[in-house]
Amino acid sequence: MKALSLIAAGLVATAGVAFADDVMQAPPPAPYAAVASLVKLPDFIPGLGTLYVDPATLPAGPFLAYDHDGKLVSTIYMIPIADLNPDKRFDDLAAPGGAVDHVDIYYNAGHPGVEVPHAHLVLWHVSAADEARVAK
Amino acid sequence: MRLSRRALLAGVAAALALPARAAGPVEIVMQGDADGAHVWFDPAGLLVPPGATVRWTNRDPGNAHTATAYHPANFDRPRRIPEAASPWNSDYLLPGETFETMLTAPGIYDFFCIPHEHAGMVGRIVVGAAPVDWQGWPDGDLPAAALAAFPDVGAIIAKGTVPAPGRPA
Repeated sequence: MKALSLIAAGLVATAGVAFADDVMQAPPPAPYAAVASLVKLPDFIPGLGTLYVDPATLPAGPFLAYDHDGKLVSTIYMIPIADLNPDKRFDDLAAPGGAVDHVDIYYNAGHPGVEVPHAHLVLWHVSAADEARVAK
Repeated sequence: MRLSRRALLAGVAAALALPARAAGPVEIVMQGDADGAHVWFDPAGLLVPPGATVRWTNRDPGNAHTATAYHPANFDRPRRIPEAASPWNSDYLLPGETFETMLTAPGIYDFFCIPHEHAGMVGRIVVGAAPVDWQGWPDGDLPAAALAAFPDVGAIIAKGTVPAPGRPA
C-alpha cells in the first residue's frame, strides 16, 4: 500500500513537469510554446537564442533558450523590477534544464510578453565561451 | 512648460525656414543595446513641416518596438497630440520592419513604445511650430521615466533634432 502511494505521489509530481532529458533538444514538450508564437518577437534573439515558455508561468518563466542547432543553452527567469518588494515572492520556479555552469543577472528594459523593466536571471547550461552559440 | 518668447520666435523662424513638405519620409529609428538594457528612438526629438511623412524603422536586432501616439484611442493613454490630429499605432515592428504616418496638423506630438514606455522610450515631434499658448501636456498617468525622457520643445525647434537621453554612452 505504501509502495502504491509512493508511485501515485510520483505520478502526481511528474504530471506536466518537464525534466532535463525532455528539454535538452528543441522543441521542449507542451505546455512549453515558442515565445515567437505567443508574442511578436524575433524567432531567434541575439544573446539569448530561441525561447520557449509555458504561458501559464509568465512573466517569471522559466524560459528555455536554444542555439541554432536546437541545443539547450540556458534557462532564464524574467522578474519585474516592481515585483522585487517586501510583499512579493517567486517560489518554486521550475528548473528543468539540468546542470548550471554559471549565472548572469542583468536589467532589461522590457519586450513583448514582459512589457515592464525586469531582471533577466540566466542560468547557463554551457560554458561562458559557448555563449557565443547564441550571440547572433 | 511655457515657451519663452525667444523660443517661440525661434520656432516661427524655423517653421518659415522649413520646406513646405519634406522630399521623402523623415526617419526615426528604434534602437536597443545587446542585452536590452537600453532602448531608444533616434532622434527622440524632431522638427518637421506640416505634411511631412515620418517613418519609424526597427534597427534593434533583438527586440520588437512600436511607435504609438499618446491618445485615448491607444490603450486609453492621455492625449498628447494636437486635437485635430489623428492618432496612430504601428503595432509591434520586428527587426527591419517600418511604419509611416503623415503629420499634417501643426503642434506637438508625443509618442511611445508600448513595451518600453516604463523604460522611458518615448519621442516628441514638433510639426511646424509650437502653439503660441503652449504650456506642455499634463503629466497624466505617465511613468516618471517617460516624463523625464521627452526632449525640450525649445531644443527641438532650435536644433531640428534631439538625440535620445537613454542612449548609452
